[in-house]
Order: sequence, then C-alpha cells, then structure tokens
Amino acid sequence: MTDQADQSRRNFLYVAAGGLGAVAAGATIVPFIGSMLPAADTLAASKTEFDVSTVEAGQLVTIQWQGKPVFVVHRTPELLKQVDGHDDKLKDANSEAIAEVQQAWMDTPETRKYRAIKPEYLIVVASCTHLGCIPLFKPSAGRKDWGDSVPEDWAGGWHCPCHGSYYDLSARVINGSPAPHNLHVMPYEYKTDTQVVIG
Amino acid sequence: MKTTKFLMAMVAAVLMGFSSQAMASGGGAALEHAEVDMTDQEQIRRGLTVFTDVCMGCHSAKYITYRGLMAYPEIGLTREEVDELRGERSLMDGMISDLSIEDAVVSYGKAPPDLSLIVPGRRGGADYVYSLLIGYEHDHEGKVPDGNWNKVFPGNRIAMPDPLSWLDHEADEEAELRQQAHDVSAFLAFIGDPHQNTRRAIGCWVMGFLLLLTLVLWRLKVEVWKDVKKH
Amino acid sequence: MLDKIMKTQLFAWIDKRTGAEAIIKSQLTEYPAPKNLNYMWNFGSLALLVLVLQILTGIFLVMYYKPSAEATFGGFTVAFDSVERIMRDVNFGWLIRYMHAVGASMFFVVVYMHIGRGMYYGSFKAPRELLWIIGVVILLIMQGAAFFGYLLPWGQMSFWGATVITNLFGAIPVLGEYIGQVLVGGFAVGDPTLNRFFSLHYLFPLLLAAIVGGHVHALHVVHSNNPDGIDLHKPEEMIPFHPYYTIKDAFGVAFFLLFYCYIVFFNPQMGGYFIEVDNYVPANNLQTPAHIAPVWYLTPWYTILRSFESKLLGVAAMGASLGILFVLPFLCRSAVRSARFRPVYQIMVIMFFIDVIVLGYCGHSAPTATLKVVGQIATAYYFLFFLALPILPKFEKTKPVPEGI
Repeated sequence: MTDQADQSRRNFLYVAAGGLGAVAAGATIVPFIGSMLPAADTLAASKTEFDVSTVEAGQLVTIQWQGKPVFVVHRTPELLKQVDGHDDKLKDANSEAIAEVQQAWMDTPETRKYRAIKPEYLIVVASCTHLGCIPLFKPSAGRKDWGDSVPEDWAGGWHCPCHGSYYDLSARVINGSPAPHNLHVMPYEYKTDTQVVIG
Repeated sequence: MKTTKFLMAMVAAVLMGFSSQAMASGGGAALEHAEVDMTDQEQIRRGLTVFTDVCMGCHSAKYITYRGLMAYPEIGLTREEVDELRGERSLMDGMISDLSIEDAVVSYGKAPPDLSLIVPGRRGGADYVYSLLIGYEHDHEGKVPDGNWNKVFPGNRIAMPDPLSWLDHEADEEAELRQQAHDVSAFLAFIGDPHQNTRRAIGCWVMGFLLLLTLVLWRLKVEVWKDVKKH
Repeated sequence: MLDKIMKTQLFAWIDKRTGAEAIIKSQLTEYPAPKNLNYMWNFGSLALLVLVLQILTGIFLVMYYKPSAEATFGGFTVAFDSVERIMRDVNFGWLIRYMHAVGASMFFVVVYMHIGRGMYYGSFKAPRELLWIIGVVILLIMQGAAFFGYLLPWGQMSFWGATVITNLFGAIPVLGEYIGQVLVGGFAVGDPTLNRFFSLHYLFPLLLAAIVGGHVHALHVVHSNNPDGIDLHKPEEMIPFHPYYTIKDAFGVAFFLLFYCYIVFFNPQMGGYFIEVDNYVPANNLQTPAHIAPVWYLTPWYTILRSFESKLLGVAAMGASLGILFVLPFLCRSAVRSARFRPVYQIMVIMFFIDVIVLGYCGHSAPTATLKVVGQIATAYYFLFFLALPILPKFEKTKPVPEGI
C-alpha cells in the first residue's frame, strides 16, 4: 500500500525517467541518421572545373558534376537566333517557375532568354525534369535531320526519348511536354575567359 | 551480496586498470613524456611545419588531405596557405611525399611508413614518437653507424637517419630541437585521431546526462521496490 | 502506463490479430520471477542490449565499409582505407566505429559475468540444462562472430590473428586441410578470406538474435533460478517481471551505459586491449608483429592451446575446454544448486574464475618459460574443476538450504 507522497514521487520519477529515456533515444538516433548524410569527402567533391574552349562551335559535350550529367553547348550565332520567336510555346519562357531553373545573373531579358553567363556557352543539368532521362540533342530546325520525332515547327533543341518532352535551344521546356520545368541551371562562374567552375 | 560486491569490484578494477597507454617496448629505453595539447592550434600548426619541412621528405600521411588542413579547426589553415603547400596537387589529395617507395628502399633499405596513424600504431603513442626523435645516440659498441642507433627503437638499429639532427647537437640548439619534437608529435597525435576533441566534448555531456538518468532510474527502482520489501 | 496502452482501441485491434495481450501478460506483467534476484541477474538483459547495439552499429558501418584486400598507396588496402574514411570523413563515423569496437569487448565482459552467475548459483542444473547448453552455443557463435569481425579492418593483428587461427584448423586430422581451405579460400589469408569472413560476420549476429530468442523462451518455460538456488513454490515468493525487473533492468542498463560510454568517449582503445595498437598498422604478409596475441576475450583458450607441445593435442584441448562446458549440467551431481550453501564448490568455482583470468593473462603476455608453466597449471585446474564435480557430493558437506525466501 503506497501513500500519497510515495505515489506522487513515483509518478514524478516515472515521468522523469520516461522523459530522459526519450531524450536518450533521440540523441542516439542523431549520429546514426547523421552518418547517412553525405560524408565530408563526398561533399568536398562538389565543384568541377571545365575549359569551355574545348567545345567546338555547334558541339554538345556531356560532363559530370556531383555524379550528375551536365550539357555544355557551344551555340553558334545561328543557333542563338533559333532561341527567338516562340515564347508563346514555352511553359516558362523567363525561367521563373522554381529556384533551380534560374540564377542570380539572370536579371536581364537577354540572360533570361539565353540562360547563360556567356550566351555562346549554355551549361545546364542534362536531366529531364520529368523523370531524369538524358535528352537527345537535336539542334537543327525543322524535320530534315530528325524526321517525325520532332514537331513540324521544330526550332531546334532537345528531345527526351523516354516520354517525349521537348526543350528549345536554351533548354526551356515546350508546351505539351510531360516535363514540368526547364532544364536546371546550377551555380557556375568563369574563373578566366575559358575556365568554368561548376558548383 | 558479498560475492556480488567482490565480483563487481574485480570487474571495475580490471577495467580501470587497462587505461595505461605507456607500455615500454621490448628492447627499448624508458619513454620521455611528450608535451602535447590537442587543443593548442599553434602547437599543431608548428608541428605541421616540421612535418612538411622535415618528415615529408620521405614520409607520406595519406589520410590527412590538404582540404582537411583547412577543415579541421585544430589546424584551420586558410585557402592561400593550403594552396602554397599543395602546389599542383588537388585539395582532395592526401599529403604524399615526393620520394617514391622504390627510391626510399634503395636509399634507406625500407619503405618509410605512412605517418597518418603512427601515434596510435606504436606502443607509447606520442611519448614514443617524441622519445624516438630525441633518442638518437652513438652506438657504444661501434657496430651501427651514427644516426642509425636509437635508444627507444626496438632492437636499437633504425633505418631512419636522425631527422632532427639530434645527434651531436649544440647545447643552445637543444631547446629548439626538443620543441620541434614535441610539436611534430602533437601534429601526428592529432592526425591519428582528428575528431578526438569533439569526442571528448560530447563525452562530457553524455556522461553528465547518464549520471542523471542513472540517478533517476535508481530512485525509481527503490521506490517501486518498496512494494516488494514491505511483504 | 502499459495498462493505459492496453486499454486503447488500437491495442484491442492489434490484440485481436496477434494475441498481443496474452503475450504481454505471460511474458511481462504476469510472468513470475523470484523476488530475491540480485544484480548478477542483470547481465542477461545487458547482453541483449549489447547484441542490439552491435547489430545497429554494424549495419551503419557496413554502409561505408568495403571488404576488399586490394592494395592501395602506402601499403594499405581498400578495406583499411574504408575504415579510416569512416573514422575521418563519415559524419559521426568515429563514434559508430568506436561503439562497435568497444561493444565487442563489452559483449564478452557482460556474457562472462552472466556465465559466472550461472556457474556460481547453479543455474545450469536441472531443469535448466538445455537453457545452459543453448547459452554455450551462443558463446561459441559470439567467438566466431568476433573472430570473423576482427579480420575486417585488415590491420597487422587482423591478418596475423586470422593466419594463426586458420592454421590451427589445419591441425585437425583428416579433415583439417580441407576445413582450412574452405575457411581461407586460397593458399594464405587474403582477399577471398576477407570477403567470406565479412559475409559470416554479418550472418552470425543475426543467427545469434534467433538463438537468443530460443534462449529466452527456454528460460520462460523453467523460470529463473535465484541466489539461494531453491525451487520456489509460494506465490508470495514471486513478483511479476514488469514493473519490478523491467525497472531494475533499466537501472542496470543506465549503470552499464556509464561504463560503456566512458570508454567509448574517453578511452576507446583501453590501453590496446579493445583496439590493439598493432591493428593501426596495415597488414603486411611478409612481416609478423613482434607480439601476436588474440584479443583479450579469446586469450584463455589461447593459453590452453599453447600449453601443449603437440599442435594436435593443443587444438584438441582447446576444443575440449569449450566442449566440456556443454556437459557441465551432467557432471555436477550435487543436490544443492547455489554455491552459497556449498562450501567446497564455492571455493572451487571462485578459483575457477581466477583461473580463467590467469589463463587470459598468460595468453596475452609474451610466452616466457615461467608463464608457460603457470599457463599449464592453470589449464590443468580448468579441466580438474570440471572433472572433480561428479565426485564432489561424496565428501562435500553442504550447508542447510532454506525452505523459502
């Protein structure tokens, strides 16, 4: 038979023990789940350097950054012209929809149209924003080179083979595509005229 | 109850008695104490300088990267300082000596061991490394050439020639050489276990918490068992 | 609080589909335990705690550990590099690794205390013989798991310890060479050995989890022994396991964690006993360390092995020293269980515990002539203890055993 003082002391101790136990359990989980976050050396490999002068005019090169594929396209003046005149067919002509499709330097109509620091070199993540496949580069306008795989009024760009999304030559997604957003632009900067640091 | 107490006391004694780190190696002299402080950034940096100026001529420390020299607060070099040290090498590279293993074997007879884990990997730890660096003496028997006889190295004959030029040092050089030996021992002790300061800091909190938890559970046990004791 | 949970609708839903209420009652809230159990009875729950800790830390280590003996720069290997990566680059990797290494040793500390309790208080005697035998199986699997795990960092001690022990199996007549090849997977300990030891190291603790379930089940059928070693019949001598022993066990866990965490956070190497100094040196198959010894918890059996000139006799004696544990319940013929009431057995069993410590000390130290003789005497006593048990009742005057508690 326990008296009132004993019972309230007992309750206090139960609550104290339970509370401390919960704190202990929570504190124990922290290092285990924490260990699953990227390790220090994995995080450190977050920047890639690339020399854009190695990409020839009109050529597309795919490089790796943080384990992801990245397109580097050297756009000729002709290709740059193909970026104009179809804003009404684009889902997100000004790259406004989400944070990943824009950068701080996209602050003029020109940078928003060309989506690059230097218009000749477009650098975007080569992962279709639908489900991640790598889209195929189909730069020339019209159906001459690409047949039925592209629409009649094709202005050049990318076509994703997995579910048929289309992007223009600034990697902006075209209406009717399953992909919701333009191809992502990651942070990059020019260390010199030709050396880019991505990440 | 007596037997229980006895057994518990034995267990405690056995566990606590195993804390000693300094066990003199067979064939070696008694170790001197290395004055190292794992929270002393200046000492560890001085030790890094000794390491890069002297040790890296032959030894690598591949588990400490140039990036780590910036990332660990106990070293905390700036990007410029690290760039100066690493030259053309990547930030992600370990600190590798320019001396190839083959050349080292030709010159010294053995491959110089990697120093990343030399402190935990030798009986006596930092004390051993310190004592070794200042342990070069003339071989009394005259068999071993000068610079290869060491009083703490097991068997006394060491392939590494006196790196700090301890042998035949001038009296006024002694303090500086000893300091270099202390400092590089500190650096090596740090890189052998770079998270040790965080470990001990977290440990204090954990022990404090556990003492509280144990106290609460003890009182709870006593309280609940009052029911049993009454019968 | 448990009774509040058991009154909820959710619990009723679960109970209807699993019989949870009956299980909780029969195994916890209405499960009878003697009311006089002392703290030596805490070690079973502590052993379960450490097993869970080892499995938990092990699973997270495996997310980064790579079981490959492929050489890397500086005389290291992919495996050794991956352990250092865990220590340096993985978030809290150093903590998980130290918990696992310290936990391995603490597992044996706790289990040896648990076995000591069983031997002292006669918990191995009828009707608990099978419970004891399952326990010996657990001990053997623990030793196997520890042996396999120790190879994984691929340090000097890992490699040479594995070489010595796998050579041991070669001493077994007829099958020895075959067993050795199956273990090693080649001519000498190497990458194939590492890979299969990794697989077995993962398997054995999971086997343990299942066998521990059987151990607890066997216990729950015959119920716990008690320090007086008498059979308890009266209801007032028993108390429900929950809340009395759940709370006492929780207190024991907290007390244990004080020791465990002190070691993990302030002295994980334990002077080279928990993490050996030589294992910070990468394995070199052309150079044996000056001083090979197995990890402390295997040293008693190492001494027994080394006490004999003949390799075969040594292996046989080592096997016998483990095998004889199985038949302890049948060797001991005394009608009295607990050493409290058996003056001769009490001295003998305490001397046995000291003997095992002496065997361990000899096994860990460099083999001098004196220590070899000491080890041989200790080996002799080890076996004499067991062999004397059947004849003990003939001349031991037991003290009067109490009627109840």
